[in-house]
This record gives sequence, C-alpha cells and structure tokens, in this order.
Amino acid sequence: MTSISLSAIEKSFGNTPVLNGIDLDITDGEFLTLVGPSGCGKSTLLRILAGLEMPDQGSVTINGLTVNNVRPANRNLAMVFQSYALYPHLSVAQNMMTPLRLRDLSFAGRLPFLGPVVARERYREMSAQVGETARVLKIDHLLDRKPGQLSGGQRQRAALGRAMVRKPVAFLMDEPLSNLDAALRIHMRSELAELHRSLKTTFVYVTHDQAEALTMSDRMAVMMEGQILQLGSPEKIYNDPMDIRVAEFVGAPKINLLPGTLDEAGHVRCGGMVLSRITSNETVGSITLGLRPEHLALCEQGALESLTGQVVHKENLGADIYLHVSVLDAAHRIVLRATPDEGTSVSIGQTVHFKRLCGHAMVFGKDGGRLGLSNAAHESVAEVA
Amino acid sequence: MQGTNAHWWFVGPALFLMVVILLMPIGIATGLSFTSYSLGNPGADFVGLENYEKIFTRSTYEKMFGATFRYVFVVVPLSVGLGLGAALLINSTRRLGDLYKTIYFLPVMAALIAMAIVWEFAFHPTIGIVNSTLERGCGTFLESWSWYANGCERGFPLWLTDRNYAIWTVAFIGIWQGFGFNMVLYLAGLTSVPRELYHAAEMDGAQTAWDRFWLVTWPMLGPTTVFVVTISFIRSFQVFDTVEAFYPQGGGPSKSVYVMMFAIYEKAIQQNLMGIGAAITVVFLAFVMFLTLVQRWLIERRVHYS
Amino acid sequence: MSETALQGTPSVSLASFRFSTAETVKHVVLILGSLIVLLPFYVMVSYSFKSPAEIMQNTGGFFGAQELFRDDYCIKLGRDIADCMVTPIIYNYTTAFEKAPLLRYLVNGLVVTVSIFVIQVLVALPCAYALAKLRFWGREAVFGLVLFCLLIPVHAIALPLYIMLAKVGLTNSYAALVVPWTISVFGIFLMRQFFMTVPDDLIDAARMDGMSEFSIIWNVMLPTAVPALLAFAIFSVVAHWNDYFWPRIVITGDRSLFTPPLGLREFKGDADGDNFGPMMATATIIVAPLIVAFLIAQRRFIEGITLSGMK
Repeated sequence: MTSISLSAIEKSFGNTPVLNGIDLDITDGEFLTLVGPSGCGKSTLLRILAGLEMPDQGSVTINGLTVNNVRPANRNLAMVFQSYALYPHLSVAQNMMTPLRLRDLSFAGRLPFLGPVVARERYREMSAQVGETARVLKIDHLLDRKPGQLSGGQRQRAALGRAMVRKPVAFLMDEPLSNLDAALRIHMRSELAELHRSLKTTFVYVTHDQAEALTMSDRMAVMMEGQILQLGSPEKIYNDPMDIRVAEFVGAPKINLLPGTLDEAGHVRCGGMVLSRITSNETVGSITLGLRPEHLALCEQGALESLTGQVVHKENLGADIYLHVSVLDAAHRIVLRATPDEGTSVSIGQTVHFKRLCGHAMVFGKDGGRLGLSNAAHESVAEVA
Repeated sequence: MQGTNAHWWFVGPALFLMVVILLMPIGIATGLSFTSYSLGNPGADFVGLENYEKIFTRSTYEKMFGATFRYVFVVVPLSVGLGLGAALLINSTRRLGDLYKTIYFLPVMAALIAMAIVWEFAFHPTIGIVNSTLERGCGTFLESWSWYANGCERGFPLWLTDRNYAIWTVAFIGIWQGFGFNMVLYLAGLTSVPRELYHAAEMDGAQTAWDRFWLVTWPMLGPTTVFVVTISFIRSFQVFDTVEAFYPQGGGPSKSVYVMMFAIYEKAIQQNLMGIGAAITVVFLAFVMFLTLVQRWLIERRVHYS
Repeated sequence: MSETALQGTPSVSLASFRFSTAETVKHVVLILGSLIVLLPFYVMVSYSFKSPAEIMQNTGGFFGAQELFRDDYCIKLGRDIADCMVTPIIYNYTTAFEKAPLLRYLVNGLVVTVSIFVIQVLVALPCAYALAKLRFWGREAVFGLVLFCLLIPVHAIALPLYIMLAKVGLTNSYAALVVPWTISVFGIFLMRQFFMTVPDDLIDAARMDGMSEFSIIWNVMLPTAVPALLAFAIFSVVAHWNDYFWPRIVITGDRSLFTPPLGLREFKGDADGDNFGPMMATATIIVAPLIVAFLIAQRRFIEGITLSGMK
C-alpha cells in the first residue's frame, strides 16, 4: 500500500506566497485532481510532490517516509508534463527506455555503444517492456520515430508511455491535455480514466479545466489563492460546494448568483422568492443565492414564487438550450437550462417566467461561506413543491 | 509592383559587388596559381601544376601545413571545450555569472594585434610577468613536477623563441582570444534548452549532473556545437595577427609557426611570388569551404530535430 | 516493489547544494580563468603607467611609483635637465600621441569603419528587401549566390583582391581599405531573414498609400530593422576596427593612411627599451574605445557579435 501525504506545505516565490499551508492525503490507487484557476498554486503543489520544488515549510511523505530531502529521481514517481518534455533527439522507443536505463543499469551499461553489449540481457528485457507498454498505448508502430515527427496526440501517448514503462508509486500529470485540440482532449479524458482503472495506480492530475476534473476524478481538490477550498468527490463538489468560489468555479455554464436578504426567522428572500428551508445562522442581512441553470425551469406567468425577466441571448447546444435572462430590473443576468421543446419557442427579447426547483438553492453568507439550510417542519407545509 | 524593374536596381549593386569582390578573385587566384606571375612583371609564364607540386612536396610547405594543423587542432578543441565548460559553470552558479561572462568576453573585443604585443611582453624571458611568476613558485611543492624543477634550475622556456614551445604559445593566445566567443554562443544555446527537459530527466532518474548532461544538455546543444566548431575552425585557420606580430620574418623558430595566412602574406606580398601565393590561397579556400559545407550538411542532416 | 525502491535511496538534499563545496570549486575555477584572461589587460594598463626602469625591473605594483624620471630624448634636444623630468604616466601617454600621429590613426580607423558600415547597409538593405519581399525572375538564383558567397572568408581571397587593387592603382588609399568590405553577404542574409518576418500587409499598406518601392525600403523597412541593424553595426565595427591583416597588405609605408592596429605595429617595429611604456599606452588607447563601449552596452554587444550564430 502506498499513500502519499502532504502536510502544512507552504511555499512562496520571493515575496509572493503561492501555497499557504496545504494538507492533503492521497490514498492508494485513487485518481485525485487538483483543479483551480491559473496561478492558484496547483502546479507548484504537484512539483513539490514530485520534488522539483522544495517547500518552504511542511513535509511530503510517501509510504510513511518523509521525502523532503529525497531527490525527484529517488521518489519513484512518474510525471507527464504539459509540453510532454520528450527528448527530441531520441526516438519514441529510446525516450520510453530512458527511465529504465537510468534506473536499472549500472554505469557501464549506460555507456554508449559499449552499454548494449555489456548488459545485453537487460537491454532485451527493457525493449520487451517498452514494446509491451507501447502496445497498451497503441503506439507500437511509432517506436522508431522522433518526437518531431509525431502529432500532438501521439506525443501525448509517448509521454504517457515514458511514465508507464516502469511501475511508479504514482503518476503525476501537469495539464497533460491542454496542448491537444478540443475533440482529442475529450477523447483522451475517457482514455486516461480507463487507463487509471486498469493500472490501479495513484494518479495525481493537475488541470485548470473543471470539466476534466469532474469527468475523471475519484476525488478533486479545488484550489484558489494557495489553499484547498474543498476536497471531495466530483458529485459532492458540484452539488454541495462549501464556498461561493468553489460553486462559481465548478459547473458550466456557471452557477447563477443573485443577491438576497436573510430575515430574522431565517428565511432567504430574493425578488419574489422566499426559500422554504431556513438557516440557523443568525446574521441578518444580505446574502447571495446560488442557483444552477438546471435548477431553474420555465413556468406560466403568475406561478407562485416565480421570477420574470427578458431573454437577452439564447445558446442552442442541441440537447439543451440555455437562455440568458436579465432579471431584477435588468441588474442581473441569469442562465437557465431549457429543453429544446421549451426553448425553441422562446425568442430573444421576449419576457419569460421561471421558478426554481425546490431543494437545490444554495445560500452563501457575506464571507462567501455556505450557509446550511434545513427544513423547518411547520414551514414546509406552506411551500408549494 | 510586379512588372517593374525596381528589383534589379535593388539587387544590382549587391550582385555586381558579389561578383567582382568575391567571385572574380577566386577565379583570378585559381588562374594565377598555374602561373609564375609577379606584380610589376609584364607577363607571366604558365607553369601548370608546378606551384601545387611545390606546396605538396617542399619541406617549407610541409612545415606550413604542420604548423597550421597543429595550431588548428589545438585551438579548436580547446577553445570549444573551454567555451562549453565556462558556459556550463557560469550557467550553474547563482552569483557573479554576468561578471565572469563580461571578463571572458573581453579578449574577443580587444584588437588581437594589440593583445599579441602585450602577450609578447608577458612572455618576455627576463622582464615578462609569466616567467617571473613561475619563478616565484620555485622551492615550493611545484618542484615535484620535473618540468617545473627543470625550469627553476635552468630557467623557464623562452616561450616565443623556443621552437618546441612557439606554436603552442601562439595557440594558447588563440584559445585565450577565442573561447569567450564560444562561451557566449553556448550560453545562448543553453538558454534555449527547455527547463522541462531537465525536470523530465530528473523524474526519469537522472540523478547526477553527468547523466543530465549526456541525456539533455549535450544533445540539445548539438546545433550550437556544430556551429561553434565550424566557426572556430574558420577563425583559427585564418590566424595571422599573432604570428606576424611575433615573427615578422620567416614564421617563427625553424618555421614552426609558419601558418597558411602568413605564408600567403610572405610569399605574395613580401616576396612578390604571386603564383605560389595564389596556389596556397586556393588550397586554403578549399579547406574552409569544405568545412562550411560539412557544417551545413550536418545541420540539415543530423542535428535538426523538429 | 515501490517500497524497496524508496528505501534504498540515499537522502540527498537539494537545498544542501546551496553553499556546498561544489559551488566553491566552481568559483575557484572561474576566478582562476578570469585571472588568466585578465592578465594581459593588467600588464597593458599597468605598463602604460610605469617608467622604463620600473618596467625593466618589474617593480612598482600596478600604478608604478610615479616618480619623476629623466627623458633622454628631451636631453638630446638640448633642454635643461630640470625641464626634462617627467611623470611616467604623463610621459607615456603624451609620447604615444607625439611620437606617432596616433590621433590621425584613430581618425582613420573611425572613417574606415564608419564608411564600411554605411556602404554595407546601403548595398545590403535594398538587396535583402528584394530577396525577401519581391517576386522576380532569378530571385532564387541570386539568393543561392548569396548562400554560396557566405562560404568565402574575405581574408582568404586577400591576395587576388590586392592584385586587382594594384592593377587599378588603388593600393595605399582609403578606397583600398574600404572597397573589399563594401559587400557583406552576411549582412544581406541577416537582413533578408529579418525582413521575412515583416508581414506582407505592412508593405501592401505602404503601396496602397502610394509609396514607391524605394521609399518603402527607407521609410518602412529601415525603421523596422533598427534592432537588427544595430547588432550588425556592432558586428561590423568591431571586426573592422580590430582588423589588422587587410590594412597590413594594402597600406605600405604611407603613415597618413594607417589604421590604429597598423600604427601600433609600426610603433612596435622601432620600439626600444624606453618606449615600452608609450607603446603600452598606445595599445591601451586603441583597445579602450571598444572595451568601454562593450562595458557600457554589454548585452547589445554580445548580441551583435554572436549574430553570426544565426546562420
């Protein structure tokens, strides 16, 4: 069993703090994604785990061993870089063989020309290993090519191959898909997830793309300003964000945020809406109400607790139609999801009415923290479901 | 503007000068190399391959090739090696890198003829700083080196006038002058090596600087090396200033520093033997062009990765 | 298996390299190298400060004692001994200018390097523009010729050039110093590569504005090429200010045409023991302009000199 843990990691470049006390335990075999906007410190965290950067504070443990002072080469981790970092002068096969050569061969075996003669047996084994990995990645026909002769996707596979050819404790991936075109990127998502399932090795994956994080991870850590805001399964992060920044970052189109108020009884009010669930939080005043586009639905005029607004833009994605509606005296704009049936009849400029689907609204306090809501028994009767 | 003749006005002057200044001389040199032409004589006799025969048989020219190749094959590897070494060291230190870079580049900027004269002083057997510094080391552990002990006893070498030392001393000055240039080219090459490759090497298990050098640095510097080696070859083939400054007549002790450029100068300009001078010019050009073509071929073939 | 791999590894700290012996050794090596590199500069400047006696006896440290000494040449002229006592540094530098027309040499050097550069640009720029941006019959052939001429070092064909100049009676003239360098194929090549990166739209816009091809070169292309030209200027000026071989061949005897390196060589030719100081002063004066310029604008200079790396 291998587990990796990072505790109280701090790092700053010059006077700029990058990581402020990160604690993270990675369990064996999981696919963990570090996701966040650029500059949030996710890549730095990965590089500290890899050993390419030294943390100012805190420790990195692999299998219970503190590895702060262990060089990257000795941590037995494999990394896939954003630019792939393939050696341009070596063929794909030689690129993939490099980690094996450097780790498993003696100095004599690594000598040019002489090496393959001295350690003939090892070389044969290594070639077999490379061939095997190449077959898994379907690049066995490219082994003799130089990286310069490969397409982006093929380079991506070669870089994966170089990481996979040995059996590392974990694979570290630093935005590996960001240099691919959109279609290939989506295809590679599922392929990477499958690869993870078959290898059963820990993956630590860094991305700025929340969709990648949601689709591939077992757990994801949303990072911002050098901190992990929330760590949990993609479902949990999406449905139950603990911070307004997490809620905003995850999900496309973005969550709709509307200003509201909280009264003494714990009710949240926004426009014509009053949430049925109440919060026990006693801070009376302004709050922010979060509603995901799919938690809003068009309704008839005059329906209870509906909002009214004017359609300003329509995005037709085929399966869904997103309507951009300006509400609350045109001060805010929200996006709501409609089915094609409902959506096609709506035209731009038209006034529409919509209401929320109950039980999904999220309320965030002034500091951005999530306020818990609970059903108050006597109130729920009054609520129309 | 297609259809006008503007372009010929633009290209014309350059074309004319290229032909007259660069191409015609090659033709003239080739032509004269088959004659016994000398300036001021009305005519010239056609002597066929006699001049070339002389170049490849007479002992003077044997010494010329000997001195030239000795010089070139000492200066090129050492100035390239030292340039690379200095670049790697400077690149890996955190402080003072710019200062070292500036210092090492100074000889490239200084007029070689001036510095040659200064070196002549420094190597002066009695008042030169080199031998007087060496003498200070006498009586210390350095004497355990037999060459050094010998120097202390019988005096250190007359660097520039001893035929066993002359060519090496001149070569030393060539290295001194040229390695800073190579260093700067290598430093430029090093900055273009992607940092991620080093990180990848580190992850792949390249623990020692030695492993990283052979896995990343050296291959990535391939194009730079080809260029640096070629330009060092061409520059050192053309060595003249130091030789003329030290040995205005005859090319050093026993002609041991009789390099090709000096031979051309001596034969043609000093002795007005244009035929033989032209023949040496042709041989010289052949060397230089061959080297440049090899370089271009290498650049296109082997070291071009993407 | 992964456990064993981890336990077997020595724990080497990246941070511990910071003040390690390795770093110290590097600096020791680099400093030793610097000392050797700087040695002749030290000798040159130091000797230019010292009296003949100090040079002969190797005393006086870097600056010399600057004690007054007797100028024998002055005595020979029949002046009073008291008038002929001089400070070494002043003696060395004044003698450098008095004994030979050093100022004239410096002006010659300036005239020659500047005219070479200006003519090179005048010839190369239009040609580079045509090769980069105009389509005409024979363009590939002209460019091929440029590539071929890059192979020819001008020093190597000095002999036939000298004969040609002698035939037209141009040796011992400014023209002889300048003419062979008027064509810089390297300059053409460099400018062409640079112009290739200038978008065609810019030129088409200039044409739409009614500019002639000629004014496009000087009003549109020249301003955009300033950084490349500056680098090329440094490359060219350094090469020709320091050039010794070519002036040595074409200038024989006529001192009024000497460039600084020739002047220094001449000085050396008739130097005796007393003149080492002034000679070193001359060398310092000749080397100083480029060194000072280099120290002021290092980055530009290194860029310019290594330009040839773009080939």
